[in-house]
Amino acid sequence: MQITSEALERAVEQLAKLPGTGRKSARRIAMYLLKQNKEAVFELADALKELKTSVIRCSQCGTVSDTDPCRICGSPKRSAHQICVVEEFQDVYFIEKTNEFRGRYHVLGGVISPMENIGPDNIRIKELIERVGESGEEIREVILALNPDAEGEATAYYIHKLLKPFDVEVTRIAYGIPMGSDLEYIDEATLSRAFASRNAI
Amino acid sequence: MHITRLSTHHFRNHRARDVTWSPHLNLITGPNGAGKTNLMDAVHYLCMSRSFVSSSDRYVVSEGESEFRIDGDFKGEIRSEFRVSCLYSRGEGKRIFVNDSPLDRISDLIGMVPVVVLSPEDRKLTAEGPSERRSFLDGLISQISSKYLHSLMKYRRIRKQRNRLLQEFEGSSQQLRSLLEPWDVQLVEEGSNIVARRYEVLSAFRQFLVDQFKALYEIDLQPDLTYQTFCEPGEDVAQIQQQYEKVLASSREKEFERGTTLVGPHRDEVVFYLGEMELRNYGSQGQHRLFSVALKLAQLFYYSNLLEDDPIMLLDDVFGNLDRQKTTILLDTLQKHPGQILITSASEAPFRELSATPGSELLWYRLEDGELIEK
Ligand SMILES: [Zn+2]
Repeated sequence: MQITSEALERAVEQLAKLPGTGRKSARRIAMYLLKQNKEAVFELADALKELKTSVIRCSQCGTVSDTDPCRICGSPKRSAHQICVVEEFQDVYFIEKTNEFRGRYHVLGGVISPMENIGPDNIRIKELIERVGESGEEIREVILALNPDAEGEATAYYIHKLLKPFDVEVTRIAYGIPMGSDLEYIDEATLSRAFASRNAI
Repeated sequence: MHITRLSTHHFRNHRARDVTWSPHLNLITGPNGAGKTNLMDAVHYLCMSRSFVSSSDRYVVSEGESEFRIDGDFKGEIRSEFRVSCLYSRGEGKRIFVNDSPLDRISDLIGMVPVVVLSPEDRKLTAEGPSERRSFLDGLISQISSKYLHSLMKYRRIRKQRNRLLQEFEGSSQQLRSLLEPWDVQLVEEGSNIVARRYEVLSAFRQFLVDQFKALYEIDLQPDLTYQTFCEPGEDVAQIQQQYEKVLASSREKEFERGTTLVGPHRDEVVFYLGEMELRNYGSQGQHRLFSVALKLAQLFYYSNLLEDDPIMLLDDVFGNLDRQKTTILLDTLQKHPGQILITSASEAPFRELSATPGSELLWYRLEDGELIEK
């Protein structure tokens, strides 16, 4: 086979690395982009560049943001009394979509998993405990919204234990969902019901 | 529940094209190596998402191919008609579809179509180590309880994580203890659920086993089974949890030393007896064979008694090893059972009488040179 454009092949190769894209669909996307006008394609390229240069982590909650503190941590409308602990920043997005929660977040950046060499010190547990400690009495409730799998529950247990000395209520969201499902796959209605019916642990 | 139609593509060495099945007795005869077992295994895939012969999906793909596909149409009482498809490719692994929509987890398939298999593999069940009997027990319960299956999968995961900590952690035993605690709590919870359910199911299952064995065996010997774990029978889940915590605590030092989880349902044992004699060590070959037949028939009738729908029963290459009298008893039992039964056999002799019985819904296929011909 004769390759007629090195640049096209390179774009296909890069696109094929994206999750959920095989070589076939990578080629289809590359061909589509080729047919678009210059401005549209440059805008996409700029957006991708911005993603890595402008997106930072909020120093308080750890979520992705282009400001520090992020819009949620910086908003006076959000309650400072409740902190919702999640595994990854995309969970913030899923919970925000429900409009059920008006407090702030804490993104752990993972869960405890010895098999992957992730211990309590490798995720933002220490930062959470400090946040609760330094807030004085301001943080009244820590809501654990972790997946109900073995790792999520181990992490919840560990955090709960560390929070015991503080005067703070620890709750976890109730799951009206089949065991072992990820937050990502739960529909909004279920997730917001789960929030409303969270219980103390 | 029964299968009405089966198709396979690149599945082992024989292609099935829209094979239709009778809701009651189905018989496939033909020479050894013709592919009779493949048909049974394809049905098994659609019920359990895996082979009952091969240890890995890779081995069942036709030579020179990289993927296989199995489709089956099922009919039942609760769920009137539905299609199950199993697709496997070397690159993407295995996916299961029910009515063309994919299942999130392959394990969601288990229990949709309960199945019981009796095959020469069952020799291991009574003769080999405890893990064979544990997996029989787990298969028995998982098909009637998805909660049990989830507990089992979660327990396995917790144990792996815990073992990793025990193996790799370098630090004080105090630190290790605090890192283990979140896993120990879950291990005790899921492990106790598993033990409680095993006790509950086995105590009911036992009578089915006794009845089936006695029907097959002319000598008056009482078959029995005992379940051995870290606690005594008759305890409730809370008591089991307490006992589990206790034995876990007392084996902690040893676990630190050996680097693995030493107590829990993954170490349970089921012991089979004939009278006072332990079958595994003292049973004759014939007694082993009859015991495994009785175990699988017991599973069939235990399910039939419990579930709205009868399970599918697969008997692969079983009749060649039974004498005439046992064959007659077994066929008689199967014929009276209303559920779907699929039988393979190299010999046709045992079934000649059966086919002559009026009113028996027998569908007889001959498999020769890759062709399936209705007899
Ligand atoms: Zn923030």
